[in-house]
Amino acid sequence: MLSPFILAKWEGLLLLGGFFGIVIWKLADGSIGLERLFEGDVKDSDPRNTRGYAKYVSAGRIQTFWVTVLVAAYYLWQVVQNPTEFPTIPGGVIAALAGSHALYLGGKAQAMFLGRLRDLRK
Amino acid sequence: MKNIEFVISVVLTVGTAFVIAIWVPTPDHDPMKKVQLTIAYGMLVLLFLFGFMVLAAIASGKIDISGLLSETDKKASMSRFQLLIFTFVVAISLFLIVTCKCEFPKVPTEVLMLLGISATTYGVSKGIQVAAADQEKSATPTATK
Repeated sequence: MLSPFILAKWEGLLLLGGFFGIVIWKLADGSIGLERLFEGDVKDSDPRNTRGYAKYVSAGRIQTFWVTVLVAAYYLWQVVQNPTEFPTIPGGVIAALAGSHALYLGGKAQAMFLGRLRDLRK
Repeated sequence: MKNIEFVISVVLTVGTAFVIAIWVPTPDHDPMKKVQLTIAYGMLVLLFLFGFMVLAAIASGKIDISGLLSETDKKASMSRFQLLIFTFVVAISLFLIVTCKCEFPKVPTEVLMLLGISATTYGVSKGIQVAAADQEKSATPTATK
């Protein structure tokens, strides 16, 4: 009979793999929407716009996406190389991630509270 | 009965524990070891069935996760997306390390920082949205006067 540890390992693999599989499958078939992932809202001073906000493609979101994907892939690669302990992440990588997220949040705050930079200069 | 899956899971767990208690041999016929094995197998079966119930409900749509990455206006959220990515990465890492080392590893501060940065971004992002909406609401009556 399988030992409890082997059983727990297969159980974890099935449940975790099943969950990731379902999320990826739902992402692929569009059940979990990724529409307008790179679009943000920006304060619009145009009086014809009753909503008060307009859509724009956000560079902050695009850079956050790529930095997140790269850091996640780097981390996972380190774990796969040596799966006996959590890898140590260089300070530069954490600083890059934190900086990227700060840039994204700063851009979002500026767009939502102040509007476009070119409108501020007017 | 409303939650038939739950009842089936519990009945199967008790059944498995009973079968193990009767038939599974222990190396030195130690009754304490038999009780430990029975509880361990019973808990594993129960956890698996509960997990499977949740997965089946998600797959069939009974538990709706279509809004996992979306905001109220159906727009995908970058902060939710990056939180999901890091949750997946840390979960996979933890699983790999536990299965390779056979023990729960020491969680270094870097992992907490990764998740912390990610969760903080999500929280601050929501804060900005709510504050901007409040500002817009308070500005609207003045503009219409």
